[in-house]
Amino acid sequence: METQEIIAVPAVHVQDRAASKRRRSAGGDPTPHMADAPFLSLREIEKSYDGINLVVKRLCLDVRRGEFLTLLGPSGSGKTTLLMILAGFEQPTHGVIELAGRDLTRTPPFKRDIGMVFQNYALFPHMTVAENIAFPLIARRTPKIEIAARVARALGMIKLEGLGGRRPAQLSGGQQQRVALARALVYEPAIVLMDEPLGALDKQLREHMQVEIKNLHHELGLTVIYVTHDQDEALAMSDRVAVFSGGIVEQVDIPKRIYEEPQTRFVAGFVGENNLLTGMVVSAASAATPCRVRVGASEVLAMAAAPLDEGQAVTLVLRPERIVLAPYPGQVPQTHQATITDVSYFGDRVRLRCCLFGRDDFSVKIANLAALSGLAAGQQVALGWLPQDCRALSV
Amino acid sequence: MTATAASVDRPSVMGRLRPVSARRPALHPSSLRSWLLLAPLLIFLSLGFLIPLLRMVQLSVYDPTLRDLLPATAPAITSWSGEGLPGDPVYRALAQDLKAATEAQTIGIVATRLNTEISGIRSVVMRTARRLDGLATAAPRDWFTAQDPQWADIGTWRAIARLTQAITPSHYLAALDLTYDENGALAQREPNRRIHRALFLRTLAISAVVTLLCILLGYPVACVLTTVRPALRSYLFLLVLLPFWTSLLVRTTAWIVLLQSQGVINDALVGLGLITNDGRMSLIYNMTGTIVTMTHILLPFFILPLYSVMASIPPSYMQAALSLGARPAFAFRRVYLPCTLPGVAAGGLLVFILAIGYYVTPALVGGQSGQMISNVIAFHMQSSLNWGLASALGVLLFALIGVFFMLYSRLAGLATSDWISGS
Amino acid sequence: MTLLRIEDTRGLWRGLLIAVSTAVFVFLIAPILVIIPLSFNAEPYFTFTPGMLRLQSQAFSLRWYEGFFQEPRWLVATGNSLFVATASTVLATMLGTMAALGLRDERLPGRRAIRGLILAPMIVPIIITAAGTYMVFSVVGLVDSLTGLVIAHTVLGVPFVVVTVSASLTGFDQTLERAGLILGAPPFLVFRRITLPLILPGVMAGAVLAFVSSLDEVVVALFITPSPQFYTVPRQMWSGLREQISPTILAVATLWIVLSTCLLVTLLMLRRYAERLRAGAPAQ
Repeated sequence: METQEIIAVPAVHVQDRAASKRRRSAGGDPTPHMADAPFLSLREIEKSYDGINLVVKRLCLDVRRGEFLTLLGPSGSGKTTLLMILAGFEQPTHGVIELAGRDLTRTPPFKRDIGMVFQNYALFPHMTVAENIAFPLIARRTPKIEIAARVARALGMIKLEGLGGRRPAQLSGGQQQRVALARALVYEPAIVLMDEPLGALDKQLREHMQVEIKNLHHELGLTVIYVTHDQDEALAMSDRVAVFSGGIVEQVDIPKRIYEEPQTRFVAGFVGENNLLTGMVVSAASAATPCRVRVGASEVLAMAAAPLDEGQAVTLVLRPERIVLAPYPGQVPQTHQATITDVSYFGDRVRLRCCLFGRDDFSVKIANLAALSGLAAGQQVALGWLPQDCRALSV
Repeated sequence: MTATAASVDRPSVMGRLRPVSARRPALHPSSLRSWLLLAPLLIFLSLGFLIPLLRMVQLSVYDPTLRDLLPATAPAITSWSGEGLPGDPVYRALAQDLKAATEAQTIGIVATRLNTEISGIRSVVMRTARRLDGLATAAPRDWFTAQDPQWADIGTWRAIARLTQAITPSHYLAALDLTYDENGALAQREPNRRIHRALFLRTLAISAVVTLLCILLGYPVACVLTTVRPALRSYLFLLVLLPFWTSLLVRTTAWIVLLQSQGVINDALVGLGLITNDGRMSLIYNMTGTIVTMTHILLPFFILPLYSVMASIPPSYMQAALSLGARPAFAFRRVYLPCTLPGVAAGGLLVFILAIGYYVTPALVGGQSGQMISNVIAFHMQSSLNWGLASALGVLLFALIGVFFMLYSRLAGLATSDWISGS
Repeated sequence: MTLLRIEDTRGLWRGLLIAVSTAVFVFLIAPILVIIPLSFNAEPYFTFTPGMLRLQSQAFSLRWYEGFFQEPRWLVATGNSLFVATASTVLATMLGTMAALGLRDERLPGRRAIRGLILAPMIVPIIITAAGTYMVFSVVGLVDSLTGLVIAHTVLGVPFVVVTVSASLTGFDQTLERAGLILGAPPFLVFRRITLPLILPGVMAGAVLAFVSSLDEVVVALFITPSPQFYTVPRQMWSGLREQISPTILAVATLWIVLSTCLLVTLLMLRRYAERLRAGAPAQ
C-alpha cells in the first residue's frame, strides 16, 4: 500500500461529505443542525447473559444526527455492553436497533456502516499505519487510486503526514490513538462509536485529544456515541450525556442540566461532588417551586424538582461550590452555623469539610481568595445558599 | 419492568416492537461457527482414530468366526444343558458343518480356532473331518467318540459351546492368563502358558526402572540448567533438545552401535584392558539394552517440564533459608526439594506413561528378555493372527494408560499452580 | 533466574552436581555424535577401526552415502517419505488450525472432551493406534497404499498443530478481529488479513512438528505398508536394523541428524519471529 505517491484525483470522484456538512453548520452553533426524526433509535433493548440477570434493562434511547452523545457511568453499569450491542458484537436478548430507518438488530457488524475506536486502539500490528487506515477501504473494494487519496487525506487530518510507513509499535500512545481515529473515520460511517479511547493517555495529552476529537466532530459533522467514566470529559465534550447505572439510563440531558438539575439521587451523587441530605417535606410544593424540608433538627429551603407531598421523604442535593461562606445579610434567605472539621488546599480552590446537619463531611468548595486564608479546623462559620441551588429529589 | 425517570416514554414505540427472542439467551451464533470449524477434523478423527479404537474393542469381545463357520452347530449347541454329553442332533450338526468347511476349505481356520482353547484338538478335527464320509447317520455321537475319545470329553464340548458364541470373554481371559477348566469355572492357565500377566508386570517394572533412572539423572541436569548463565544455558539446552529432536530410530541405531558386543563400548573396554576379548559384556538384545536406550530417549521428556517448574521457583526461597542459618544441604532438602516435587511427580508420571506404551525400542534392542506388552500385541497382530487376543491386550493397555493419565492430569495441574510460582 | 548463586554452595555439593550433570549431558549427546564419524567408515563395521582412530584419511570414505543415493530402495523410500510427510502435514495443518480456531469458543459444550479426543493420539500407545488402524483399513482397502499412511499420519500430526496454534491464539488479541469486523471486513477476510498473519508462526511451528513426526513414524508404516514399494525411510531403516544391518543405515542416520538440526533451528527462529510480531502490538 504505497501512500507516498499521492495520485491527483479529479475532484468529482471523491465525495466530500465533510465539506457539505461544514457548510450546513457554518454558523458555529454548538448544537449542529438536527433533523426531527431520531437518526439512531434504541428501543426496549435488553441484554442478559444467563437468562436471569439483566445487564441492560429495557433501554430506550434516541440519538440525533450529528449529535455527540456520551454514555457516562461507573464500570458494570452496562454502557460498554450497550456499545457492544450497537456495534453488533453482542446480540440483545430483546429490543430493536434502528439506524436511519434500517433495522440493524440482526445485521452482522461488518455490514452496519459503523465506525469504532477501541480502548486499546486495536491497531493491526503487522500492518503499517497507512495499511491500517486503508484496511476498511480495501474491505469495501474501493478502487486503489481512491484508497491512496483518502488515506493521504486522513493522515493529513490527524497531522501524521509522512508517518504512513511506520508500524504502530513505533508510534507514541497519542499518535496511535489518532491513527485509530483516522481508521474509523476514513470510510465516513454513519455513526462513530468510541469506547473510552483516551483512557490510556496522560492528563495533558487527554485534554489535548478531547479538543481534537471535538474539532473533528464539528468539521466532519459526525454522529458520535462516546463511552467514558470520566465525568469531566463527558461534560466538556458532549451535546448530551446519558448517565448509566445498573443497566438503565438514569438521565439523558445536556451537560448543564445533568450537572445542575440532576433528576435522580444516583446522577446527583455520580456527577460532580455533591452534598446529599435526607429529609422530609414539611410543606407540599409543585415542580420548580420552593419548599421547606426538615433535615434533622433544622428546616431548609429547597427547590422541588418534581411535585412533592407533605411528609414525603426526599434527598436534598447541594453543590459544594454553590454554598456561600459567611454571607452578608440579605445575600441568602437562610444561614446555618457549621464547625469546620478539615481544610484541604487544591491550589485553585479550597475545600472545607464541616459539621452540619449531624454529619461531619458536609463539603464546601470556595475559590482560593486571599481573604479566606486563616481558615482552620475547629472554627465556626456561617454557611448559606440560594434555594434554587438546593434541589429536592424524591428518594 | 422498572420505569425510570429518564426513559423516553413513547407510547407509539410499543406497537412497533419486534423482540429479537424470548427472554432466554439464544444459542450463541458463534457456537455454530465453532462447530463448523471443528467438524472436518472430528469427522477425520472418527474415521482415522475413533473407529479403529472401537473396532479394537469390538474385536476383543466379538468373534463370530466359529459361529459363522459352524452355522448348524452354533444354534444346536445352545440347547445343550451342559451336563452330560450333547445329544446326537448336535453331533450331526457338527458333522454337517465340518463337511461344509472341508469343501469351503475353511476347515483349517476352524481347527486352529478351536485349538486356541482346546489344546490338541486341531489334529483331531482335521483327522475327523477327513473321515466324515464314513459317518453312519444313526449314531453320530458313537461314531465321533470312536474317531477320538476327545469328542466324548465334556470339557471339549463346553469349550465348543463358548467358542461358537459371537460375544466372548475368552480373549480377555487369555490376556489375563485365565481359562475355563473342565467344569466351566475360571482357573489359571497352565504355568507354561502363563505369559501375559508376567509380561504386564515386566512392562511396568521396566517402565518403573526407566522412570527412576530419568529422575535420578534428570534432576541434577534441570538444577544445573536453572543456575547457569543464560549464554551457557542456551548451549546446554541444545544438548538436551538435539537428542529430543532426533529420530527415534536414529537414536536406537546409535545405541545398537554403541552397545553391541562388537560395538564401540565393548571395543573401548577391551582396548583399555578392562575386560578381555572373550568377556565382552552383553549390553544389548536384552533388558539392559531396553532400559539404557529408553532412559536415553525419555530423559528429555523429564528434564524439560521439570526445568520449567524449577525456573518458576523464586530464588528468594532458598536465599531466605540460607540467610536464616540453614546449611545448604538442609535448605535444599527442606525448602527446594518439596517445591520441585510436583514437577518431579508430573514429569516422572509422564515418562512412565510413555514408557509403558513403547514399541520400537524393545522391538529393536530388547531381544527376548526386554520385550514389552506392545511387542506382544504386534506379534499377535502379525504372526499368530489372533486379532481378538491382540485387541484384548490393547484394550487392557489402553485402560492402564488411562488410569495413569488421569493421575497425571491432576498432578500436572498442581505442578503449575500458583503457590509454587509465588505469583 | 538463578536458584542459588554458585558462590553460595559448598564446594563438595557443587562439584558433585557438576560431575553428575556433565556425565548426563555426555550420555545425552554422545550416541548421536558417535554415529556421524562412523558413517564415514571405509570398512563395513559398526565400530571405529584402528585406522579411523589414528585419523588416517584412507580409513574414511563416502561409500555409504553413495550407497544411499544410488540404491533404488532408498531413493524410493525417500520419495515415499517426502510425499507422505508433505501430504499429511498439509492436511494436518489445515484441519488442526481450523480446529484450534473452533476450540477458542469457551461456551462450546464438551469443549474439554473434544480437545482431549484431538490430543489423544499423542498419549495412546502407538501400537494401539497402528493395530486398530490396520484392522479397519484392511477392510476398506487402504492397506498397502500411501493414502492410508497419509490418513494415519494426519491423525498423528494434528495434535502438534492444535497445540501450537492454540498457544498462538491465546496470545492473540481478539479485539483485533472485532476491529476488522466493524471496519467492514467479512469474517473470512478478517481471518485472512488479520488473524492468520499473526498466528502464522504457530501454524508453521505446528506444521514443522507434524512434518518431523511423519518422517520419523515407523510403527503404523509397519502395519499399513507391508510392500517394499511403499516403504518409507524409517520403514526401510527398520528392515535394515532387524534383518540385514548395513552401514548405509549410519549414513541415513547422519543425514537425518543434519536434517532435524536444521528443522530445530527453524523452529527456534519461528519462535523468535512470533515474539517480534507480538511486540508490534501497542503497549497497554
